[in-house]
Amino acid sequence: MRREGSPWRGLSAVTMKELADHLSSARMRVLELLVLLTALAALYGAIRQVRDTTAEDPFVFLRLFTSASGQLPSFMSILGFLIPLMAIGLGFDAINGEYNRRTLSRILAQPIYRDALLLGKFLAGLITLAISLSGLWLLVIGLGLIMLGVPPGTEEIARALAVLVIAIAYAGVWLAAAMLFSVVFRSPATAALTTLGIWLFLAVLWPLLAPAIASAIAPPDLRAMLTGQPGIAMLEWQQALLRLSPSQLFTEAMVALFNPSTRALGTIFLSQLHGAVIGAPLPLGQSLLIAWPQTVGLVAASIVLFVIGYVCFQRQEVRA
Amino acid sequence: MHRFIIGALTAPLALLAPAALAQDKPRDVKGLYLLTDYPAVSVRPGSTSSLGLKLQNYGSPPERLALEVGGVPAGWTATLLGGGQPVAAAMPATDGSVSLQLRLDIPAGTDTGTHTLTVNAEGQNTRASLPIAVTLAKELPAKLKVDSKLPALRGSAKSSFEYQLTIKNDSGRNLLVSFSANAPRNFDTSFTEAYGSQELSSIPIEAGQSKDIKLKVRPPSTVGAGTYPVSVRVTAEDATATAEVALEIVGQPQLRLSGRDGLMSARAEAGAQSTVAVIVSNSGSAPAEEIELSASAPNGWKVEFEPKTVDRLAPGAHKEVQAQLTPVGKALAGDYMMTVRANSRSENASADFRVTVSTSTLWGVAGAGIIGAALLAMVGAVARFGRR
Repeated sequence: MRREGSPWRGLSAVTMKELADHLSSARMRVLELLVLLTALAALYGAIRQVRDTTAEDPFVFLRLFTSASGQLPSFMSILGFLIPLMAIGLGFDAINGEYNRRTLSRILAQPIYRDALLLGKFLAGLITLAISLSGLWLLVIGLGLIMLGVPPGTEEIARALAVLVIAIAYAGVWLAAAMLFSVVFRSPATAALTTLGIWLFLAVLWPLLAPAIASAIAPPDLRAMLTGQPGIAMLEWQQALLRLSPSQLFTEAMVALFNPSTRALGTIFLSQLHGAVIGAPLPLGQSLLIAWPQTVGLVAASIVLFVIGYVCFQRQEVRA
Repeated sequence: MHRFIIGALTAPLALLAPAALAQDKPRDVKGLYLLTDYPAVSVRPGSTSSLGLKLQNYGSPPERLALEVGGVPAGWTATLLGGGQPVAAAMPATDGSVSLQLRLDIPAGTDTGTHTLTVNAEGQNTRASLPIAVTLAKELPAKLKVDSKLPALRGSAKSSFEYQLTIKNDSGRNLLVSFSANAPRNFDTSFTEAYGSQELSSIPIEAGQSKDIKLKVRPPSTVGAGTYPVSVRVTAEDATATAEVALEIVGQPQLRLSGRDGLMSARAEAGAQSTVAVIVSNSGSAPAEEIELSASAPNGWKVEFEPKTVDRLAPGAHKEVQAQLTPVGKALAGDYMMTVRANSRSENASADFRVTVSTSTLWGVAGAGIIGAALLAMVGAVARFGRR
């Protein structure tokens, strides 16, 4: 039967209710604590290192996010690893949980369409993630102010804000993926395992597999074999394959924004660097332009995943 | 008895013997002599002169000889100096000699004329005396002479001019000659040894000798073309000599390149043409002609100048030239260095410009389009699959 009226009716009710559930849930607290403690450890190491070494850096504050000390990876790489965990944790039982509790048909008996339910759950998850990431972001800036005693510059704040937005988009991809599987699989455990499996595959195995696949697609030519360097075609394939992974996109966007001297994210020919002033920082707009394709990829991926989940949900039998 | 008479006769003879006798038979000369190179001298009133004397002993036993100067006109001061201090007696060894100096302080305003002074050396058995005729003259022949072998040099305002000067000491004694140069304002002058770099202000020259020194003149770099005189003044005690040398400075253009308002940076977009104003100025002293402009930019960049050449640029003038640069389409965003050169016939100048390249935002729009397409797909899905 065709729908009558606006598909968004009840959206705000669903969103607010879900948001309240998320923010008060024990699961969210555990996830936040995990992220917070790991990130604080990384931040502490970074602050110590920044104090010791980079006194003359015009972008000292950005080093808080990117410098790794000793065994601890940098704050942002820890975040790049843990944001998916948070997003999957919030989204893996969004639909099938309702179904298993037999509450789905009751909700849909209310004047709330499926559209509003799915979108409301997605938005609530995204807002929850945005709130916790912004809190974490403010914590870093505040701790940096206290421990370094240097106020951050406007451009540093702008760059950090841009990364925050990209991090939220990155979280959106994994949230949309988790919700897709929660629609597809009736069992929350299966959905969680599948999403976590994909995440682990893309984060850990894919960086190892992509070069092998790339060299199979574009075997090194004679010149490359003689010089012992990978061919250009192979490098390009490798990069294209790696960019299928959202974590790669997120990392690249971070590099472009946190290292202002980054001029390009792909392969660079030596001729392109002729006459270049190496190490000169790019203006913010240019850095954003470099990170823009990655950002677009993340945003578009979350929309596409959401649409697939939506289509699946609409075609599903929801009566238990 | 004969022998005694001959001896008694020879002693006074020897004392007063003329120089001719001593020169003819030097072996036979015996006795005590007061000698000087020039027993008749001309001096100027109001000056101090020194005369070299020698007390020579030929074959007599050493003896203490009291010294005195007789016939000194009133007001004059005649002092005998030995080893630099006044002495009253001398004692030459057998076949030895003692150097003495007679210093004459002659007050100004003394009448011209000839005065004869007698220097006497008197011992127990021997005595010697030397009459010296001192003529007072108003004008004296120059005692110092300074010459320049190449008194007129030609060069640009940037070159340094070196003049070889020969100073001759024509006076009868060793002099400490000091020199100074009088050059136009802001000209830098220095005296050095003829073959050396040590700067000098004075130099000792022995009597009758000459020495070479070098005068180095460095004009201020802003000086205009023209001829500039420099006078060299050499002084020693009471003698002075001057020489004139001249610098002929020919004008030279000096090119300078800069950006408008001194800004040496520019912005450009990859693959798109942008214009940078380059200002060519001539800060030299002659017009620069046929200034060609060129640039070396990173690989694949296109740089053209409008106009390509500046025909003539007067001294002190400047001209704005537009550089149209097109970074290569695949240029990465960031800062690049570009060197702009201006070549005239004799002059060149270069300046580094920092070009900040930005990339096109076209792909940014394309990215927004992709997101729009994804949203459109969502709207389509909502419309197509919407159900109760």
